[in-house]
Amino acid sequence: MKELFQIFISTVLIHNFVLSYFLGLCPFLGVSGKEKSALGMGLAVIFVMTLSSSVSWLIYHFILVKLGLVFLAYVVFILVIASLVQIVEMFVRRYSPALFKALGIYLPLITTNCAILGCVLFMIARDYHFWAAVVFGFSGGVGFLLVLLIMAGIREELNYADVPWVFKGASISLITAGLLALTFMGFSGLLTS
Amino acid sequence: MRFNLKGIFVLAITCSLCGFLLSLVYSSAKDKIKDNQKKAIYQAIEKIAKGYKEVVPIKVRSIDVYKLIDEKEKIMGYAFLVEGQGYQDKIKILGVINKSGTTLKGIEIIDSKETPGLGARIGEEFFTSQFKNLKVFPSIQLTQKEKVKNNQVKAITGATVSSTAVVNILDKGIKELREAGVFND
Amino acid sequence: MKKGKEWIKGLWKEHPVFRMLLGMCPTLAVTTSVINAIFMGVAVIFVLFFSSLIVSLIRKLVPPQVRIAVYTVIIASFVTIVDIYFKANFPQMSKALGPYVPLIIVNCIILGRCEAFASKNRLIPSLIDALSIGIGFFWGLVVLGAIREILGTGRVLGIKILSASYYNPMVVMILPAGAFLVLGGLVAIMNKLEGR
Repeated sequence: MKELFQIFISTVLIHNFVLSYFLGLCPFLGVSGKEKSALGMGLAVIFVMTLSSSVSWLIYHFILVKLGLVFLAYVVFILVIASLVQIVEMFVRRYSPALFKALGIYLPLITTNCAILGCVLFMIARDYHFWAAVVFGFSGGVGFLLVLLIMAGIREELNYADVPWVFKGASISLITAGLLALTFMGFSGLLTS
Repeated sequence: MRFNLKGIFVLAITCSLCGFLLSLVYSSAKDKIKDNQKKAIYQAIEKIAKGYKEVVPIKVRSIDVYKLIDEKEKIMGYAFLVEGQGYQDKIKILGVINKSGTTLKGIEIIDSKETPGLGARIGEEFFTSQFKNLKVFPSIQLTQKEKVKNNQVKAITGATVSSTAVVNILDKGIKELREAGVFND
Repeated sequence: MKKGKEWIKGLWKEHPVFRMLLGMCPTLAVTTSVINAIFMGVAVIFVLFFSSLIVSLIRKLVPPQVRIAVYTVIIASFVTIVDIYFKANFPQMSKALGPYVPLIIVNCIILGRCEAFASKNRLIPSLIDALSIGIGFFWGLVVLGAIREILGTGRVLGIKILSASYYNPMVVMILPAGAFLVLGGLVAIMNKLEGR
């Protein structure tokens, strides 16, 4: 239990997917303009990431390793992620049209979100057991959502600031992300194990 | 999602061809990959230990241990590979210890993904050289100040977690080997 | 576009990282040193080239509904080949680049070019496009890597340029935060140079 909690805190704050591992940057810089879309994207990512992590773990350990087909891992993982996103999209469209409309085009975009594949790859590399993998996927998504919301808030404020033209747009977003990353480094003292 | 037969067919063919291509590439490279892993360990042993003639790999519990045999066919020490969680990711350490398990001859960091410029410095000479002829009784200790006892190691400033991890991983490994009776010959 | 323009568009005007802001995950992650940047750049050129090659050759055979899946499988396969090659022949680099080699699969640049260009154009233009964008990405990585390595450790390719005695390295440069800041700065410089 303690281990799972440590994984959660570590992944959300100390080794945040976006600020420490640079995963999920495309949507991070593209979507975080408004808080509403940030929330939608973040929730979708949490869902897909948790599922992908769990399903990939099962397929990896019970099929790929058992059959000695580990070298097919990357191809299999990306197919799993793409299929999961498709299924989630169909599911949401059928059972919650309101949610589907809110998420809009962000849902299919999640497939190319490096955070999802990155999460799966890290989970395999660190040799987590099943429940650790599930928590890891969930925490990764939560960390992503957290940073996305903070960025959205800052970006909305930046709209009213007088940013020099060379820095407008991606440049100031990146610099903001850098400062945010510096801030999050302060969390590294949280876990002393 | 409309089920397009031709689409499924194309996808299936693509996957099969790719899978076939990958299995070819992999089977031609996999021996080399396994060798690389072994090479790193043997190179590290060569760096730390001297005067041995033969290396005999054995497994003690879940730890990879390498008996170092001298030209008189006697065991002169052991090399062991241990790993554990560091700050960022797993740290893999190769340690060389004397026959009776009381003094470390030296260590080499085989694998680590610690923070560059800080935690990653555990791989540097100034840190690993502290483990040369280090006593391990009752356990290896980490200190922030200057080391006074011969079983102490000074932590790297700004990399306490990584330094602590190295010490703990080694300590745990040595204790486990001792419990398993490795040093009781 | 004339053949000549095709070649250089990826190198400056449509630079994948500094102008189009694609493929940032690996850019920021591996540019902690020049040697890492070089290997990653070569890997991307390889995957981009061969993926574009295959995609362009089979473009008339793939039904639209499955094209993204098919392209992704092709890209994933070439990435796996690069990864296996690195693991076998350059184990140290493979460890240094870590999970960012397989992450080339979801690098928006590759899928983006296959989808936007190679799937709609003949073989030779597709290959030129791939090389142009690939080399552009390569030099972008190397520049970023050089800045971060010099400012962060005082070295380039392991050779000491700024001695520690008079230059205290800004460790932050090789940390993630530094990556964001340097890239943000470089994008601003590109904006200024392009006058836009």
